[in-house]
Amino acid sequence: MSRFILYRLALLVPTLFGVLLVTFLLLYVAPGDPVQAMVGERADAETLARLRAELRLDDPLYQQFGHYVGGVLQGDLGTSYITRRPILRDLLERFPATLRLAGAAMLFAAVVGIAVGIFGAWRPGSWADRFATFAAYLGVSFPVYWVGLILILVFAVHLRWLPPSGSSGLVYLILPAITLGMRSVAFLSRMTRAAMQEVLQSDFIRTARAKGLHEGRVVLSHGFRNALLPVVTVLGLDFGSYLTGSILTETIFSWPGVGRYVLTAIDKRDLPAVQGSILFLSLVFVMVNLLTDLLYARVDPRVAYD
Amino acid sequence: MRQFLIGTALVISACGDQGEGSGKTLNYYFTYDPRSLDPALSTDVPTGEVVSQLFDNLTQFDADAQLKPGLARSWETDAAGRFYTFRLRQDASFHDGRPIKAADVRASLLRALAPGSTGGRSWPLYPIQGARAYAAGSAKEVAGIVVRDDSTLVLTLEEPLNVFPKLLAMPVAAIVPTPTPPNFDQGPTGSGPWKFVSWSHDDAIVLARNESYWGGAPKSDTLRIRIIPEPLTQAAEYEAGQLSVVEVPVGETRRWEQTHAVELQRRPALRDLYVAINTTRGPLKDVRVRRALNHAVDVRTLLGTVMADRGVLAAGSLPPGIVGYDSTRAPYGYDPAKARQLLTEAGYPNGFSIKLWRTQRAELARLAQSIQQNLTEVGIRAEIVERDASSARAAVRNGEADLFLTDWWADYPDPENFNFPLFHSRNKGPGGNYAFLSDAAVDSMILRARATTDETEKARLSRQVDDRIFELAPWIFLWFPVDIWASQPDVTGWRIPLVFTGQRWMEAERTR
Repeated sequence: MSRFILYRLALLVPTLFGVLLVTFLLLYVAPGDPVQAMVGERADAETLARLRAELRLDDPLYQQFGHYVGGVLQGDLGTSYITRRPILRDLLERFPATLRLAGAAMLFAAVVGIAVGIFGAWRPGSWADRFATFAAYLGVSFPVYWVGLILILVFAVHLRWLPPSGSSGLVYLILPAITLGMRSVAFLSRMTRAAMQEVLQSDFIRTARAKGLHEGRVVLSHGFRNALLPVVTVLGLDFGSYLTGSILTETIFSWPGVGRYVLTAIDKRDLPAVQGSILFLSLVFVMVNLLTDLLYARVDPRVAYD
Repeated sequence: MRQFLIGTALVISACGDQGEGSGKTLNYYFTYDPRSLDPALSTDVPTGEVVSQLFDNLTQFDADAQLKPGLARSWETDAAGRFYTFRLRQDASFHDGRPIKAADVRASLLRALAPGSTGGRSWPLYPIQGARAYAAGSAKEVAGIVVRDDSTLVLTLEEPLNVFPKLLAMPVAAIVPTPTPPNFDQGPTGSGPWKFVSWSHDDAIVLARNESYWGGAPKSDTLRIRIIPEPLTQAAEYEAGQLSVVEVPVGETRRWEQTHAVELQRRPALRDLYVAINTTRGPLKDVRVRRALNHAVDVRTLLGTVMADRGVLAAGSLPPGIVGYDSTRAPYGYDPAKARQLLTEAGYPNGFSIKLWRTQRAELARLAQSIQQNLTEVGIRAEIVERDASSARAAVRNGEADLFLTDWWADYPDPENFNFPLFHSRNKGPGGNYAFLSDAAVDSMILRARATTDETEKARLSRQVDDRIFELAPWIFLWFPVDIWASQPDVTGWRIPLVFTGQRWMEAERTR
């Protein structure tokens, strides 16, 4: 196991270097001028030229890249062109908010999605199962943007039960977590239902029932445990993508996470902020994937990495 | 069950931040996070707005965009308008209690001009003699800033410029304590009516009233500025009672006029919405073609259908409220037959193909499509090019766009803030002249209007520039937007500011 972890960690280096290179080249060829975005309107040509030189934007591409990689190797993701703050500090400041939202969304998705999925597999064709299937289709079909605004309208504006947006306390998490987790609920419930249906028809389940075990124990202990592998996959992938920023949800709910930071950086052509963010978020994504893989071994003893 | 739900709702509501409801707290918002709280880094509206709460300038604007004394209690100029003598008030101090003297003003202006990490945004100070060379790093001193005594400062300009006192009200010219303490850009010590309390990025800025402000303390205790990017969320926050004021989203205008009629305020903005016509490209070089474009677009209908009538039809670039605005001049008017006739006279009876650039701002999408449709009707095939703001601006500034749908916000209320950046040949491209207009008569009149110390002459020249601009048609003139905001029924003392630095929240308070 430890060899597997070391191997995967070693793979991080070429992966992140590839991310760095591709991002750098893409931003280099992308249209837009970071210096003009920095100085706003009414800047004269002299000022623009001076700033370009200060930021080394006139250097040859390989020198710019070398300079950037040099900084990254020393743990320095650079300084934002726009805010003049260290990018790593900006990201670390916002990441806890993203983590909170992603965690809450996954918790909601896991509890609701798995419960609905198990119930559907246990009582297939029942009205509740049919309703859950219908709701799952709705969950994946409705755009996040629309769901978010409707939730705000109903629960914040009309009922006044919850705040429309912001991040000042636990209560502020509810609407964005539901909005963000909605799609995962749909996937998870379908995935759990399919996996459980297969497992519940297995011989060992019939044996468990024949032994006279309580139905709840049959379904949850024997059934669900064996259907967990695909569920963990979905959870891991979705959690990884939530952690890398949920631009729409963060925007609708004024949530101060990394998604909005990246969006602003792209909008302002804040090159080091975009590069730094993508590198940081790639690292997060890769680490979540690694953890998911490790979780497989815990869930299913047949999975062995050595 | 019902009781359980209500009980649960009460419990979770109790977990939230209840600060918003406090009678002494005003709740405002920005659409995006300020880039910094350091005035020297101010180029965007949120930074400028928050800087104007935290700091003072020598001069400043009120909500009606009237220039008022700030740290300078008075100022005078010589007959030619080149030497400005500012007399500072004696009762002003920084939030740490240190009195503000003329040397602080000088050090502050030099800091804003300094080349390097804080430089690059200080164009409002460039008219000062030697300032441009200092900012470029080619001079060690700025000859034009002289401290005569603790309360007198003389600023000498390179050339006469009547708008200079207004430029000193810009955020970049705010007076800061020097040397600035560490972390100044994140939590500054200023001298304005509000003191810094906290800043949680992309979330909220909290300011507390400055009890010892020379102009009297603000009426409310706290000004909480949330960062809320989505206009519909802003509106929902207001409807849920969480914001003191809100700009009504364009798409919600008709509904709010019914449901919130008594809460609404309207004010014509110092702003232009227009299509810049690149006067150096192909058929657009011909003034007849540019006039044809103006006749081809049904501006009145667009204003009603796309913008819910939130605007005043434009016949020139100077909006109502700006010296030189001519209310008697009629817009080009929708006349497709005349447009076709002009195109034929210019040698384009079958029209031509053209590209209409726009940014991704939602309200511009429908507008661009409608303009495209109108142009098609007179034979001009316009392809819409949609880019993010940065890419679109870069292309337009490089002269690559035929037409560019955009707007212009006044930084300060003066015809110079329209005529000079938008039409003087020195400002082609990055300077703001997206039409790449180069007209000797326009240039000459703009420069004379900038230099004169005679207000009547300035008004006359500015109006003549506007006449000439209308005639040359470097834009498709659309409209001057009208701002519509709502303020909560219990909020008093707040008005829509005409310029972004003009609302300092001094009189605003919640009465319940």
